[in-house]
Amino acid sequence: MMNIEEIEKILPQRYPFLMLDRVTDIKAGEYIRAYKNVSANEEYFNGHFEEKPVFPGVLTAEAMAQASCLLIKKSIPDLKATLFYITNMKLRFFKTIIPGDRVDINVKVVKIVRTGGIFETEAVVNSYIVAKGEMTFACK
Amino acid sequence: MVKITAQNLEGQLRTLISEIVETEPEKITLDAKFVDDLGMDSMMALEILAAIEKKYKIQIPEEELGKLKNLKEIINLTEGYLKARL
Repeated sequence: MMNIEEIEKILPQRYPFLMLDRVTDIKAGEYIRAYKNVSANEEYFNGHFEEKPVFPGVLTAEAMAQASCLLIKKSIPDLKATLFYITNMKLRFFKTIIPGDRVDINVKVVKIVRTGGIFETEAVVNSYIVAKGEMTFACK
Repeated sequence: MVKITAQNLEGQLRTLISEIVETEPEKITLDAKFVDDLGMDSMMALEILAAIEKKYKIQIPEEELGKLKNLKEIINLTEGYLKARL
């Protein structure tokens, strides 16, 4: 398990763009399970949307990406790269995420090399898959 | 399971690569250079490697990434790992 302080030691993202609150399980080279608690107080709900707050899908993708980056760093501890760029992403969204939801992010390794990685990922709320797909990253 | 012959391996790999590089299969000739002729980048090469591993249930080490220069080399590489699996 990793708490927020431990996550911040690895990821460069900070408020308002750190999209993970906790890692519940991680196995280097294989998988990571993390989550984000979505609060009604978050800034983007002022405009997305004023009458009906919905957690932006791009931020679900960002949460998946951040979990994948943690997994790369844990899988290759001596990796010098600090920045990760999404080079390809195929995601399908099934259900909206709203304030109060806990979004579980599950990521599984397809392939990791020192220059990047490919991951299968899903976002789960209350045991329902709300988004799933595949992401490719380059490390610099 | 369909037996993999040299002809259908070439066709399967051409289709697989064309989907990742997002180009017409006929442009992927045996000698067309992935980077210079087809605009492929290193992460597309990684996607091709992972797709080949998944399709043929083989493991190809990271060191082989640099060898993915054209279709002919990918066929040779894949054939080598398929034979090693048998």
